[in-house]
Amino acid sequence: MPDLHFVATVNDRKVSRSAKPHQRLLDFLRDDLNLTGNKEGCGAGECGTCSVFVDGVLMKSCLMPVAKAQGTSIETIEALARTGELSLLQKAFHKAGASQCGYCIPGMVMAATAAIRANPFVGREEIKERLGGNICRCTGYQKIFDAVEMARDVQNGTLPATAFAEADAEQGDFIGKNVRRIDAPSKVSGALKYAGDMTMPGMLHVQVLRSPHAHARIVSIDTSAAEAMPGVEGVITSADVPGEDGFGVFVNDQPVMARGKVRYVGEAVAAVAAEDPLAAVRALEKIKVVYEELPAVFDPDEAMYDGAPVLHDYAPDNITMHVPIRVGDVEKGFAESDLLLEENYATQAVEHAYLEPEAGLAYLDHDGVVTVVSPSQNITHHRRLLARILAMPIAKVRFIMSPVGGGFGGKEDMIYQGMLALLAMKTRRPVRLVFTREESIVSTAKRHPSRTNLRMGLTRDGRIRALEMKMISDGGAYGLSTAGVMRKAAILAAGPYVIPHVKIDTFGVYTNNTPSGAFRSFGALQTEFATESMLDVAAERLGLDPFAIRRINAMRDGATTHTKQKLGSVSLLRALEAAEKASGWEAGAPVSRGDKRGDLGRDGNRPPVSLGARFETAEKQQAAE
Amino acid sequence: MLICDEYLTPASLDEAFAAMEKHRGHYRVVAGATDTLPWARQGRAGDVHIRALIDVAKIPELNEKKTGDRRVRFGAATPIQRFLDDPALGRAMPCMPRCAVWFADDQIRSLATIGGNIINASPAADGTPCLIAHEATVELAARRGGKTARRKMPLESFITGPNKTALEDGELLVAIECDALPGYGGSFEKVGHRRSLVISLVCLAALVKLDSTGRKIEDVRLAIAGIGPLPLRLAEVEKFLRGGPIGMERLERAAAMPVELVASRTRQEYRRDVVRGFMMRGLINAARRAGADAAALAPELEAAYA
Repeated sequence: MPDLHFVATVNDRKVSRSAKPHQRLLDFLRDDLNLTGNKEGCGAGECGTCSVFVDGVLMKSCLMPVAKAQGTSIETIEALARTGELSLLQKAFHKAGASQCGYCIPGMVMAATAAIRANPFVGREEIKERLGGNICRCTGYQKIFDAVEMARDVQNGTLPATAFAEADAEQGDFIGKNVRRIDAPSKVSGALKYAGDMTMPGMLHVQVLRSPHAHARIVSIDTSAAEAMPGVEGVITSADVPGEDGFGVFVNDQPVMARGKVRYVGEAVAAVAAEDPLAAVRALEKIKVVYEELPAVFDPDEAMYDGAPVLHDYAPDNITMHVPIRVGDVEKGFAESDLLLEENYATQAVEHAYLEPEAGLAYLDHDGVVTVVSPSQNITHHRRLLARILAMPIAKVRFIMSPVGGGFGGKEDMIYQGMLALLAMKTRRPVRLVFTREESIVSTAKRHPSRTNLRMGLTRDGRIRALEMKMISDGGAYGLSTAGVMRKAAILAAGPYVIPHVKIDTFGVYTNNTPSGAFRSFGALQTEFATESMLDVAAERLGLDPFAIRRINAMRDGATTHTKQKLGSVSLLRALEAAEKASGWEAGAPVSRGDKRGDLGRDGNRPPVSLGARFETAEKQQAAE
Repeated sequence: MLICDEYLTPASLDEAFAAMEKHRGHYRVVAGATDTLPWARQGRAGDVHIRALIDVAKIPELNEKKTGDRRVRFGAATPIQRFLDDPALGRAMPCMPRCAVWFADDQIRSLATIGGNIINASPAADGTPCLIAHEATVELAARRGGKTARRKMPLESFITGPNKTALEDGELLVAIECDALPGYGGSFEKVGHRRSLVISLVCLAALVKLDSTGRKIEDVRLAIAGIGPLPLRLAEVEKFLRGGPIGMERLERAAAMPVELVASRTRQEYRRDVVRGFMMRGLINAARRAGADAAALAPELEAAYA
């Protein structure tokens, strides 16, 4: 495999060195030149955080073979603040609060730089279009667009540079003030190191062998051929776990790697640490796993039937968690109701899609302390469990939380840190694992898909007398946060409403699907989706305004929740008022009015999907000339 | 991951053919590489090992451009972005800049090539309907018996099915030749799950030429993709419209004509609605850009399909 001799100018410096023919420009910049400011979010040209200038033209470096950049001049995010002073755009991003997790921001800043270079008077619509190839999962984009407009105006002299200054916060007084994020400069400049950006001398690269089966017994694993390969420094399976091999958030049912059987497609079975990622990929191909397929179950309702395939011996009914709540007597409440409603609701799995795929680095320090650096959202819990898994005193296990490039609950589970720790101990070298986007989607937790049966009884004046709900959630192959999610789902199921008779049952069920876990709102979304949808149905049936029916039933200051929590203050009425005002609500019962709707064509409504703001700019310029 | 032993960047067609002969059966030709790299990932082709990648993007002949009065010819490695940046190309092909702005995103269009878009032959390819509407022919070349053999064929017959073309083993797409249609108004309508970086559910190219009154259609070109296995030229609708006035009733009749052509694997009902709407929007936009008499295009109609 002859290497390429690669010559280019990178950030004004001459580069002349060998590169692998299969390397992408992104790999070369990040791995060989250690320019880790631009990130890899997807590897497929979708997210844009890898965007760099090649001969002045913005390109996605994950889609560019390095050989294509031969002889060019390349600018990475590091080029923009080389003097140590942030560029106008970077300052604007800082001021506008445009960076949150920061992982998309290097690409956003580059795309914004390209937009202003292309058109110094770029308008908001054109900004949106020119940033269309960049995805952000945290901000909702508005602050990013604000930042680009601010930088444009400062550059054009219509806004003074003092606009970037921190205006509001006075010494020691921050509450209610606009305060700039102190971590923003490191994010807008690309200086911040996420776990996947970190390297250590002698570091090995980890790849994971994953299950192709949803449910199968592992008959045998033979790693000898992989271990014999040059460059391979360590291979691990569940046999390498010295302690109690189980982790989870509420029930410790998940081994570091599949033990005895696999329970979902994508589950880790073995891991390899090698001198370079390619050697590790090659080694995975040499690991021989013999599986005996088992019947699998993919539907939580079916999983609860007698005779369904059982995933975990401790739970022969496949139920991870059942949370019942009983208040009053729902049958009595239904008997007192004028309107009885019954509906079924369903929600689907959702991927968190944080821009930063999972990554971690582990090493043994000089005192033999196993140290794991990763964007874990739950490091103290992970540390406690890992100590038990490794059969080590907790003082010998250390977790360092690297910057989290978006989590949303998806990084609460310890699904790879155990492998890193074991490989660091086995190889006595630092090891790093960086997930691909596909690996992240295949192997990590999702939002619980749910099916809810809901019955609601109301009196003619809109008061809810009784609510009965049964929600069945697909928890997937392992417990993770399911127990907590079911609890929160049940506690919040009846909403912030005064209801005398309540009966709620939430079930988290094992299936051979990808595990479900924590995700923003932690179960409340699934049950409240049903309850709130039902309230709209009730409003329609009773001829009430949807806001009114919620006010009629709203808990007020001093209320007691369905689980007997005393609430000092309840902000629901204020929230309703604000929502009603902001949405331009037309009062009245829900009716279908088709094109007679009063809100069509109103200011602020979204126009039909179109692209081409840049043509309008060009047409205007032509007209002006 | 895409793994190759050699990444070759031939400087001429001859060098490219030599490399293809040398690595016969063990190479893949890339131009922009923006389809190839995502293809070699988990869930699609997975890890792919190819002995030689032959990158034809820098071959001068594949980057040439010649705009004549009747035909315009451009190399297969022309990046999509050039249709936005090059005013001469934009004038000769009035719907191409509109298409380019919907194509992938600002970054990818600088790498992705028009030839790659053709060879990939996606049923939802954005570039193809415009080219078909411009009566595109493809120029193919191969090394046969030590000599470079060339042939031409209409783009419509070159694309034979989803991801299938009439390209033969050892053959390269060298250039595309199209009708030059200056003075036409062009439009490109596209819908997908988001605006940028999305595969078209439906895309439509429309070109309209009006007579001096701005009220009569002298010529019209329509092509659509995403509604079946192949991109389609809407010749019957063109025939119906050609020579007639631009009026609401005629446009609506024309818009209904291709609805029955929807033969996609999924979401047919939705696509039928889109086809009707896009026909109206495409024709109105193209007519407006062709200088249509404002009174001829009912303003309320224009607003409805803006």
